[in-house]
Amino acid sequence: MDRNELKMQLKHLLVEGLKLDGVRPESIRDAEPIFVEGLGLDSIDALELVVLVEEKFHVVIPDEEVGKLAFASIDALADYIVRQQPGARV
Amino acid sequence: MRRVVISGAGSINALGKGVAAFAAGLRDSRCAIRTLSLFDSAAYRSTCAAEVESLAPPTWLPAALARRVTRTDLLALIAAHEALESAGLRGGGSSLQGEASPMMLAVVLGATTGGMHASEEFVRRRVLALPPAPRRALLTTPLSTTVDLLASVFGAAGPRLVVSTACSSSANALGIAADMIRSGRADAVLCGGTDALCRMTFSGFNALQALDKVPCRPFDRRRAGLTLGEGAAMFVLEEEAAAHDRGAPILAEFLGYGVSADAHHITQPRPDAAGALLAMQRALGASGVSAEEIDYVNAHGTGTPMNDVLETRALKTLFGPCAYRIPVSSTKSMVGHCLGAAGAIEALACVLALRGDFLPATVTLEEPDPECDLDYVPRTSRPARIRTVLSNSYGFGGNNTAIVLRAAE
Repeated sequence: MDRNELKMQLKHLLVEGLKLDGVRPESIRDAEPIFVEGLGLDSIDALELVVLVEEKFHVVIPDEEVGKLAFASIDALADYIVRQQPGARV
Repeated sequence: MRRVVISGAGSINALGKGVAAFAAGLRDSRCAIRTLSLFDSAAYRSTCAAEVESLAPPTWLPAALARRVTRTDLLALIAAHEALESAGLRGGGSSLQGEASPMMLAVVLGATTGGMHASEEFVRRRVLALPPAPRRALLTTPLSTTVDLLASVFGAAGPRLVVSTACSSSANALGIAADMIRSGRADAVLCGGTDALCRMTFSGFNALQALDKVPCRPFDRRRAGLTLGEGAAMFVLEEEAAAHDRGAPILAEFLGYGVSADAHHITQPRPDAAGALLAMQRALGASGVSAEEIDYVNAHGTGTPMNDVLETRALKTLFGPCAYRIPVSSTKSMVGHCLGAAGAIEALACVLALRGDFLPATVTLEEPDPECDLDYVPRTSRPARIRTVLSNSYGFGGNNTAIVLRAAE
């Protein structure tokens, strides 16, 4: 999958999966923090998002440490998903 | 013994948002029962409900919370915010923490279904293979969700408790809150009840054939069941001296409460009404009040054939010949039966009656039942000077609670 397309899919997943009424997926910036600032998401949103990403992209977020890095931004999340794909070079 | 007073109140129900709207609705004897719009009720015996219209998250609620709070949470949050503001505790405990001696604010809440409506929606979408609802809906299933939310939003660092004794839940919550003040376990208690309409209660009461097809008619000869409602009423209780020192308004005094259990049946009350009577006797005893001193009774008055005749019988036993001169009314004829919130909503109706010098009416009562022959204040409210009032709340499983309130001096 094209990396830009992956990032757009993630933005749609965020908005639709978390029911972020009034947020346009295109308005989410690639490098902006996903949690706390910006979108005002909290720890319960994080739980929801982890499960949504795991289901849709067949990846595993094994613990909080990995999760914090992977969910730092849309860029970081796209990187993480690409790296987790079978055959990906680490 | 420490005297416990109500120093703040907040309200939301089908008659409107805010204590003033509830007071106006009661005084104007407005029935707020309409056709249910929250979910499809076509398959039920009745489509009547006392629903809160245009319920939306208030602007002061953080965005992450506004996205996931349930109807039950919202009702409680809105009423609690008003109660704390009217008690002069704006911002609740969080502003109090900064003071020289922070106030120990407890939260005690009566509730029966919590986030059931959100959980139902989650399951419905899954069963019908619709796009899924966020899983966070399932986090709202435990009844404790709302009381935890209230404590964190309003910065209440004292003890917290959720009381679930069916339809007497919030009457008990007020009583337990008063106990906390008397025992010194809390300086102030944010207490009351909240319950939103949901399919489970609608289906349950429907299956029990306990829903009237038309707006409920307590004490009427033709009554055929209750009407479900939703809402919340929240109070701030504190010791009289503390409220006085703070310069807080004193809305009424909480004199005492009495509790009993029927130990009889899963839904039906005891046919001899002994449990209902015992709760009232205990409430009077705990309050140091004689039966003759009661000026008004806010009845449980659901409009089911059995409740109203048994409650009448218990009142006659309690009051003896005086029963015929003590007005009794059911405010459920205006706001429906709000289950876990009913006791608190009706306590607030009593406070408003005491403060406004009027008797709320049983607005849908038109044809008296020969077996219900007391003064039920039919159709319209009326002016009256009242000082001491009693409110009954009876719940499934034989949970009986009566509370006694007195006008502020």
